[in-house]
Amino acid sequence: MSVAEAEARTIQLEAPSGLWHEAWRRLRRNPGAIVGFVLVATFLIVALFAPLIATHDPREQNLALLGGSCCPGPSADHFFGVDALGRDLFSRVVYGARFSLLIGVVSVIVGLTFGIMIGATAGFFGGWIDSVLMRFMDIMLAIPGLLLAIGIVAVLGPGIFQIMIAVGVTQIPVFARLLRGSILGVRESDYVLAARSVGVPGRAILGAHILPNAMSPVIVQGTLALATAIIDVAALGFLGLGPQDPSTPEWGTMLTDTTRYLQTAPFLALIPGAAIVISVLGFNLIGDGLREALDPRFRGRG
Amino acid sequence: MGWRPLRLVLPLVAFALVFAAAGCGGGGSSGGGDNGGDMVFGTAADPVVLDGALVSDGESLRAIDQMFEGLVTLKPGTTEVVPALATSWKADPAGTSWTFNLREGVKFHDGTDFNAAAVCYNFDRWYNFKGPFQQQSATYYWQTVFGGFSDKKTPSLYKSCEAKDDKTVVINLTKPSASFLGALALTNFTIASPEALKEFDADKGSVDEETGFKPTGTYGTEHPTGTGPFKFVSWTRGDRLVMERNEDYWGDKAHIDKLIFRPIADNAARLQALQNGEIQGYDLVEPQDINTIKGDDSLQILDRPAFNVGYVTINQKVKPFDNLKVRQAVAAGLDRQSVVDNFYAGRGQLATQFMPPSLEGYADDVQEYTYDPAKAKQLLQQAGVQTPLKVDFWYPTDISRPYMPDPKRNFEAFAASLNKSGFQVVPHSAPWSPDYVGRVDEGTAGGLNLIGWTGDFGDPDNFIGTFFQQPTDQFGFENKELFGLLDRAERETDSAKRIDLYKEANREIMKFLPGVPYVNTEPALAFNSNIKGYVPSPVSLEQFSSVEIEGQ
Amino acid sequence: MLRFVVRRLLLLIPILLGLSVLVFVWIRALPGGPAEALLGERATPESIRQIEDQYGLNKPVYVQYWSYVSTVARGDLGTSVTTRRPVAEEIEQRFPATVELTIAAMIFAVSLGVPLGFIAAKKYGGPADHASLVVTLLGISMPIFFLAILLKYVFAVRLGLLPTVGRIDPLIDISHPTNFYTIDALLNGNLNAFWDVTKHLILPAIALGSIPLAIIARITRASVLDVQNEDYVRTARAKGLSPRVVDQRHIFRNALLPIVTIVGLQAGLLLSGAVLTETVFAFPGMGTWLVTAIKGRDFPVLQGGILFVSLIFVLINLLVDVAYAFINPRIRVS
Repeated sequence: MSVAEAEARTIQLEAPSGLWHEAWRRLRRNPGAIVGFVLVATFLIVALFAPLIATHDPREQNLALLGGSCCPGPSADHFFGVDALGRDLFSRVVYGARFSLLIGVVSVIVGLTFGIMIGATAGFFGGWIDSVLMRFMDIMLAIPGLLLAIGIVAVLGPGIFQIMIAVGVTQIPVFARLLRGSILGVRESDYVLAARSVGVPGRAILGAHILPNAMSPVIVQGTLALATAIIDVAALGFLGLGPQDPSTPEWGTMLTDTTRYLQTAPFLALIPGAAIVISVLGFNLIGDGLREALDPRFRGRG
Repeated sequence: MGWRPLRLVLPLVAFALVFAAAGCGGGGSSGGGDNGGDMVFGTAADPVVLDGALVSDGESLRAIDQMFEGLVTLKPGTTEVVPALATSWKADPAGTSWTFNLREGVKFHDGTDFNAAAVCYNFDRWYNFKGPFQQQSATYYWQTVFGGFSDKKTPSLYKSCEAKDDKTVVINLTKPSASFLGALALTNFTIASPEALKEFDADKGSVDEETGFKPTGTYGTEHPTGTGPFKFVSWTRGDRLVMERNEDYWGDKAHIDKLIFRPIADNAARLQALQNGEIQGYDLVEPQDINTIKGDDSLQILDRPAFNVGYVTINQKVKPFDNLKVRQAVAAGLDRQSVVDNFYAGRGQLATQFMPPSLEGYADDVQEYTYDPAKAKQLLQQAGVQTPLKVDFWYPTDISRPYMPDPKRNFEAFAASLNKSGFQVVPHSAPWSPDYVGRVDEGTAGGLNLIGWTGDFGDPDNFIGTFFQQPTDQFGFENKELFGLLDRAERETDSAKRIDLYKEANREIMKFLPGVPYVNTEPALAFNSNIKGYVPSPVSLEQFSSVEIEGQ
Repeated sequence: MLRFVVRRLLLLIPILLGLSVLVFVWIRALPGGPAEALLGERATPESIRQIEDQYGLNKPVYVQYWSYVSTVARGDLGTSVTTRRPVAEEIEQRFPATVELTIAAMIFAVSLGVPLGFIAAKKYGGPADHASLVVTLLGISMPIFFLAILLKYVFAVRLGLLPTVGRIDPLIDISHPTNFYTIDALLNGNLNAFWDVTKHLILPAIALGSIPLAIIARITRASVLDVQNEDYVRTARAKGLSPRVVDQRHIFRNALLPIVTIVGLQAGLLLSGAVLTETVFAFPGMGTWLVTAIKGRDFPVLQGGILFVSLIFVLINLLVDVAYAFINPRIRVS
């Protein structure tokens, strides 16, 4: 084996493990990321094990509890109190996590999948394919996010499924641009050029260098996109475009319904609002931590 | 560490905060103008247009009520007909010719004289509406009361108007009607200045390229001209409608100098604006806020007498609701009492029929229904339908009505109780305007939907006549006996006999069960404690001219 | 420089065309078909037929598209179904309101965000830095409408310091030559009115500007951190220049670049956020207008409004690009 080949081998082998390992190390030492991790883990556990954690059926009404007005506050039976239809707020918040998770994940998957396909195609092939696709993305980006989502919902009609798609679609251009930029950037970077000049095959370059480096901003963006998705869905729900079955325990719609009780039963709005903030904060913290961990500029500074 | 710009910013922020704290919070009535003071009232929306002939929404009517008057009006707070622009009237023995003696010395806001010619101009204007003006969206009330127009496509109650002399006018009808006089108190039949109507193209309208009916003149948006105690000053949509005292008013002049209507769509926002001093009163108070307001010494609650009914429509065009047993099952499956007890803060009363108790013709002995899920299931079985019976149940969004402050809440409670009674509710909703009301009217709002009605004038015909005197798409049935009974009742001129006929009609209706009424409410208005003289009306015909701001 | 601007303007054209196609397709995709959509629920068979004739809906698609484009180019954006006024006229009234609010929000975001980010960068790793991170994270994690509701409740209802609705006290009467109420008040020479208008802007501006504040703070921090470690800064310091001079002359000016870009890019975020903020404060701008239009299915308004807003957004992006090129000469050459 010549020295060049040995060098090529090493370059091939080092790049992937070096990157992820270091990132993980840095992440573990970041207090913000740890807090975020705890919050997200709580959110996921609550969402996934909702039936075990909730104390009541979130849709079951008990009008007798209302006693003629709204609404009895926290008690031993009902940890967060009871809403305007006599439903247990704690259970509704718990199941609400489920909905938020579901809607957030699906939207991001939609955005991610199409965004990656478009971005990878554009970045890899370049030329006129790149121009056309990116022009299309520009047009989509020309319409402010929420308005685009609203426009889509106007066509599809309101509903959980529809807002998932609407929010997902608004995220496509961001992922597409990101991935394309990433691929372009990496394609021309020094270590890829070096690897190529030494004779490492194209496929290996793609697998070992281009994709891992291009993926890291996507992962970061994915986490942040999840955070945005949860908020955007709540916003659409707030505008009345969300789940059409009113008994659905979705945090955003729970906020719309309860602002009218802000003076008589503020907890009805404050608790779901706080739930949104906490979950979104968790994802943002992790996303931030990931970004700092994977940022090539900080590499070498430990 | 020195960063100059930062040192500039901090004191600026502090200065601003101090200023904010020192300045009085929010707005407040300034003592501008004469000594009557100005008043800002929070409304739920902007009026659509300020031409009484062309509107049917509450906010347009509210504004028009302050600036316009009709031949007759209602005594404040009641449904009793009293003189307004007409001082006396008489019908001929046949009941088809009504002579009105008009008040003298009245002028329109533009200085022109009010006289019989002006009255006839207005009536004929309405009768001669053509083309786009004949759409239900344009002239709903003319069509409800009088029927058709001069083109005779449909028969009309109105025949002609004669100005006998300056102060005597005769209105001829095609047949006698007991509700004609009461209907004249409607805001839609107020008299406007013919000069202004002509000058500002009040009759210009079109099927616009995009919107269907659209008035294109500036009369209804910039120059509404009536005879009322307030005159129009300016209107900026989304911001304010400004009116000022009419110094040349023929009657008791208004006390306040300027009256401003400020549209605030969100009910909670209106409350906050009141608490913060940005408005001095508002309408459509939510039940849960009533105690908050009562508990505040600087605020007060005024009650409107109950004159409405909230009900669940049953559309008999949707099978199997044409089966009486199924309708009875619906009645047994709705937990109306719980809803009335818990959602109306004590201001709702269980409705037994489609009319409020204060209206004559109310029957004390109608068939009553209670919540009984077991019985409901039994009835469904007897009717031979498979349980659970799927039903499309509609409710409106983005609206608050006096009989239904939170439609979604009512819906959810009813849906839950129906689901326990052998039904399977499929929820549907649409925004109140423009979709929901249209759907209910056209019968495309499922088998069941939530709706209600506030009376426009004090006649049972305005309730059950409007609902059940003819086949409608909303209820989807043909019941010739019921139609005939209500028809007879409308024509009956002997008032005692008339009341009996309406009582019988109510009994029939509650046996036939075209829908399930559930509540009559006492809506509430909120004001600052220093606002005196506002008289709530059961039909929401309320004058600000009697309002005084104490301490002004 | 001029060539650059011209080139960017030319690039604008395909985007605008694309936008018009998108909106055109969108209106036809709406449930109920375009005629019913435009007429609203008051559509009778005759009026539908009239619209179809007038719009040429029975003509081939490209003819329809051309007439649509020419109508829009003439400035005719249609008529609102709910208020029956021309959409263009309503935009004239509502757009300045939103712009005023957006500028106020931006002033808030920049004047607090930049110093915050700067301090955080200077005290990197210390408690001030971590505190700023927490604050900024909360800023982007909180839904705007929730923040608006809380602000309204605390400052207006409980403390009575600031107004809750509208742009101006209804009892104050001034003329509106520009529809920018702050400028109008000054033009009227009415300082009381000016202060009143400003008070009405404070809470909505804070709610709307919360996210840009967070983003600007973070970008400033990152940017300053970057620049701080650049060679020329180290050289300047080594030369013996005082820290303040180094800050001003080198760090600040170079860190400015990404900040300027971000500020421009916030436009889209602000326009979306305005929809939610204005609703909570009953602020009569484009936001409440569009929300009412969505709920009321006022499609002419939605079509005209979205088209207009997107146009503005695109123009702002263009301005940002030009400004960026102005500041950074390297870009012009590429």
